[in-house]
This record gives sequence, C-alpha cells and structure tokens, in this order.
Amino acid sequence: METGSNNSLPTQFPVSHKSFSLNIKGNKTDIVICKYDDSFMVMATQIGCMGTILHARKEESVSTDPTFHVAVIFGKRDEPFLVACARQLIEHTSSYGSTRPLVLSLGLKDHSPVINLPSVF
Amino acid sequence: MASEELEENLSELQIGENGEKKPVENDVSEGAVKVSCFTEDLQDVTLHFQIVNFSKQIYAWIGCNSAKLGHLYAAATTRPNNNVSVTSLLGSTSDNTGSSIARRIVLKTGLNVVIACNIPKDSPMLEATAERKLVERLASLGYFRPKEKHSN
Repeated sequence: METGSNNSLPTQFPVSHKSFSLNIKGNKTDIVICKYDDSFMVMATQIGCMGTILHARKEESVSTDPTFHVAVIFGKRDEPFLVACARQLIEHTSSYGSTRPLVLSLGLKDHSPVINLPSVF
Repeated sequence: MASEELEENLSELQIGENGEKKPVENDVSEGAVKVSCFTEDLQDVTLHFQIVNFSKQIYAWIGCNSAKLGHLYAAATTRPNNNVSVTSLLGSTSDNTGSSIARRIVLKTGLNVVIACNIPKDSPMLEATAERKLVERLASLGYFRPKEKHSN
C-alpha cells in the first residue's frame, strides 16, 4: 500500500525483511530479520514479545584484530548466554564482510545454553 | 536442523555489503508474526513505516527519507498506577523525537511498544504526521482499546 502519484513506478520498500517460524525443542519460535541502512535487526521470540534486547557492534582498528562490543540494552542482564549469542551472531555477520551493528532481541522460554541457544542460531 | 534453515535465510538476505535488495511485498504474514510495511509520500519527505505485530508487543520503525534504524525507545505501562514510562534504548538521550510517539501508542493500545525512529529533531509537524499515520494503521489492525461508553 503506497500513496503518491499514480504515474510513478512502484518503489520497493527500503527495508528488506524476512519473517518465518521454527520449532526449536518443541517451542514455536518466531523470527524476524530486518536489514536497515546502518544496522541489522534480528528478533527471535517464543513468548509473544521481544524479550531481552541486545546491541552488538564491531570495532575495527588498523593494527589489531577487530573486536566486538556487545551490551544488553533492555531486559535480562544476568544471562551471559544471551550476550554470547549476540556475540556469535555479530561475528557471523562480520565474517560475511558486514560492518553493520546488530540489534538482537531474544524472547526465549528457556535460557539454558545447552538446550536452546545453539539451536536458535 | 533449525540452525541450518536460519543460516540459509540469513544468506538469502545477502548480508554482504554488495548484496542487492530483493523485492519485498508490503505485507508479509508467515507464521504468527505479521510484518506490515507501507510508505507515505508527503510534500517534501517520504515516511516509511514498518510494524511487527507480536502477540503481546508492538515493534514499529519509522523512517524519514532513509532506511536507517534511528533511535530506539521502549514504552510500557508501569506500576503503581499504570502510568506510561518511556526509556531510550539506543541513540542520543538529548533527542527524544520518537519517545512521545511511543508513549502515546502505549496510551492508545495498552501494549508494550518498541519504537525505532529516525525523524530529525525539532520537527514537531513531521513527528505529528508520522504518529497520525502510524496510529491509523494500528487502528486498522485492530490494536486500539474500545472506548468505554458512558451511560447517561
């Protein structure tokens, strides 16, 4: 649905996204991935809301290897495996050559690292 | 495996910087999460809107002439009186362009909201227009609380 002149060519929405559902260990997991100009947004939820939101970015310098900065910006700050998950994902996107920061929201029923987090990503 | 399917989806999204954007339908509803995208062309600006409808929360992105994420705000009703509280998650705390939008969306829907907004600061008219368009779409999606009827 777009408003504007009828003579103009239909333009693509500037943000591409993908939305799908997975069954992880019996829990229905809704995942939405969005690509903005300056960042990625990945949302994975089993509880009907965004849950904990993390921000991860890559910091590059000339002489040393790149480092990654990951922080919880909303929600549970005492679950280290959520941070590990974000760290793994930013490293994964970085391996494809992307320097965009990542906003990751995880609304999981079980924060056990053995059971859930490796299955999600 | 679920992780393989996710990796396949991520690679389809072409994370590399040279990836081309794939054409995307304006409304995509796969699974339980519906993603609504639409664009409003105003006289001198183009507003883009993206709404992700979770069952207990709303995520909305408002783009002004660009597809940058912008500042991120979270708003929800909080105890003790169900007053609405807003907090800035990402972005400068001195620029609160999207926070008032987030607050009013919570007042009207009663749901928790996360708003991402890249409207430039000191643009109250643009902010008001963006909020109006977003509210219209949320109303069409059935998110507003029914008004209480007062018996006379």
